[in-house]
Amino acid sequence: MNAKTAMPEIGVDAETQRRVEQFLYREARLLDNERWDDWLALMAEDIHYWMPTMENRRRADKNGTYAVDRGALYNDNLLDLTRRVTRFKQPTAWAEDPATRHAHVVAGIEVYQGEAPGEFIVHSTFVNYRSRVEKDNDLLVGRREDVLRADGESFRLARRKIIITQSVLMAKNLNTFL
Amino acid sequence: MSQPILLLKRADLEPGKVRKCEVGGVALAVYNLNGTFYATQDGCTHATASLSEGDIVDDDCIACPVHDGTFHIPTGQPMSFPCEHPIRTFKVIDEGEDVLVDLDQESDEAADAV
Amino acid sequence: MCNTQGDTPIRLKRRPIAQSIENLDQLMNLEKGRMSRDLFWDRDIYEQELERIFARCWLFVGHESQIPKAGDYVSTYLGEDNVLIVRQKDGSVKGFLNTCPHRGNKVCFADLGNARQFVCNYHGWAFGIDGALKGMHASETYEAAGMDKSEHGLHPVAHVDSYRGLIFATLDPEAPSLAEYLGDMRYYLDAIFDMDEGGTEFIGGCVKSVIQCNWKYASENFVGDILHAGWTHDSGAKAMVGGPVAEVHKTPEQSYHVNFNGHGWEFNQDIVGNCATLGEKELLKYLYVLQPKVAERLGELRSRMIGAISSCTLFPNTSFLPGQNTFRTWHPRGPGQIELHTWTFVNKKAPQEIKDKWRKGTMMTFSPSGVFEMDDGEKWEYSTRSNAGFVTRQQDLYLGLGHDTRVENTDLPGNVFQGQINEANQRAFYQRWLDLMKADSWKTVPQRDLPKMKEGV
Repeated sequence: MNAKTAMPEIGVDAETQRRVEQFLYREARLLDNERWDDWLALMAEDIHYWMPTMENRRRADKNGTYAVDRGALYNDNLLDLTRRVTRFKQPTAWAEDPATRHAHVVAGIEVYQGEAPGEFIVHSTFVNYRSRVEKDNDLLVGRREDVLRADGESFRLARRKIIITQSVLMAKNLNTFL
Repeated sequence: MSQPILLLKRADLEPGKVRKCEVGGVALAVYNLNGTFYATQDGCTHATASLSEGDIVDDDCIACPVHDGTFHIPTGQPMSFPCEHPIRTFKVIDEGEDVLVDLDQESDEAADAV
Repeated sequence: MCNTQGDTPIRLKRRPIAQSIENLDQLMNLEKGRMSRDLFWDRDIYEQELERIFARCWLFVGHESQIPKAGDYVSTYLGEDNVLIVRQKDGSVKGFLNTCPHRGNKVCFADLGNARQFVCNYHGWAFGIDGALKGMHASETYEAAGMDKSEHGLHPVAHVDSYRGLIFATLDPEAPSLAEYLGDMRYYLDAIFDMDEGGTEFIGGCVKSVIQCNWKYASENFVGDILHAGWTHDSGAKAMVGGPVAEVHKTPEQSYHVNFNGHGWEFNQDIVGNCATLGEKELLKYLYVLQPKVAERLGELRSRMIGAISSCTLFPNTSFLPGQNTFRTWHPRGPGQIELHTWTFVNKKAPQEIKDKWRKGTMMTFSPSGVFEMDDGEKWEYSTRSNAGFVTRQQDLYLGLGHDTRVENTDLPGNVFQGQINEANQRAFYQRWLDLMKADSWKTVPQRDLPKMKEGV
């Protein structure tokens, strides 16, 4: 466990809770609708967007099932995310044409005070369903642990750690963000 | 009350290592934990196995080489599955270069344990 | 350091070989550049592949760097056989079927780790890292039954050996040596896996995914199909380098297809073409600085391969990309599915920041989320799937590019063809496939390619 998880979980007022939830729901809708530039605009300049791959290790194995210098499906800064979006927008991104039908479902949103003023630690679960072509369907479920930073009336995503439940990704690709 | 018997010379067993000694008709596993010597029965209480062929783990436990169950060396207590019954410990007497054992007494740690 | 083919295993039972499907020759006419779709769809062909390809060939199981200490292990596959590859106390490497000889349960459920022993969680059968049965739960019952533990250890694979850090295993006791199997391809492997002192290591763990395609679509793509990159990967190139894939078909004089024993490598001489797609100038600098030293070590041609536009498949199902430094095995899971295991390799002596950039680079380009790889999977899936059609699967497939490009009278080892936009390697891959499928044992597999390299090199 790292220092972050050892932080006490101090809740926030109802209005902040509501605004964070709306932020995450809107983010999910942007991704459903492939509004990539609007989604990138939610990122802080120093975003670290991380989705490690899960290894099967024995519980007693001190190496743990994932680490920041091991396998990952996303281990991105803003430039990396921008490059991915650049591909999505290419007319020659063949795996995006015809378009994928996306549904990003977000639930279990918990909001706690972050380390710095204006920062929030946000937990949520997600279900992502994608359907391509006739019946090419993929399901991915997991958890996210975010650091959000207040940005005027809204927020920016400063850090996201995505923990998926699959160790072998049951899909040929992962053509969205989670 | 029996006489302490010589197990080995201090220099014969490096820290972190275990080896088998047969003295007075008894097979013992002798351990050097950071310069302090301990002795227990060599046979595992779970199944047929020689603890001295195992590994010292977690600083002061012995992992049986067959099923990897562990015992706490100073007290002989079973620490993990499948070990259920403690191993017998023997009091070690440290006389500088000589390491001796009293086969009639258990270790101080075992005696102190509830 | 591995076991060589010393002892004949007594704990690996094999049935006499099943009868072959008839008329396999009709599945392809490589001279005319045509082949049958049955290879990618037929269940009987797949079952025969399990016996005559995957249970016979040397298959990649790991890199030495993954299992440095005694007791270190990885769980992987030879075809569909799950195996444990374990570093021994004496430094050698052993492989075992990951199944308890008692009732068959999986012995080790972890992907990797370090073990003092392997204990089956059904009846507590405990095996040493050398595979020997050391004890069981309620062992006295077995003693009373007169069981001899030495007859019930883990089933060992037939042979384990390694080349330049790459560990291979085979389930066939009669397989030729690994050196003979790899043959002259070793000359080219050195360009990547022996380019400097210290060789390579795997970093960052294994990324695994499933693609619903026949394994051969993946193998043939990496054995010689750089042609697809210009079309398939346009979006990836634009994302990472802001421009299209290099038009390599315009400069065939500086690129090649080379194959040997079905292994194939297509490559350019541009030193950094593949690496450039990672969008990291530091990596290019690293390769440019290294290249002259590699030229001294291995000669000019091989030094220009170190990060060039290129790809390689080692027959049957292991492939890699120099420059992007992704290494992968396409494990077959039936005629219509693969499980893809990928790793990142780097030179051991590279600085840590360079290694980190490569680990990140393969993730950005050649992983399920990679901007290049994302476009490959769908094509292989739908190439496979289209053959559900009864009439569709009776149509031929084309494999005729580059027929007259053979380079004769060359010192270069292997079969050499001019121009990497070519299908020569693919034809050689399928020729080898056909040879193995027709042969009842290694003894009757034709030796079409005569090595220029000595075996012991």
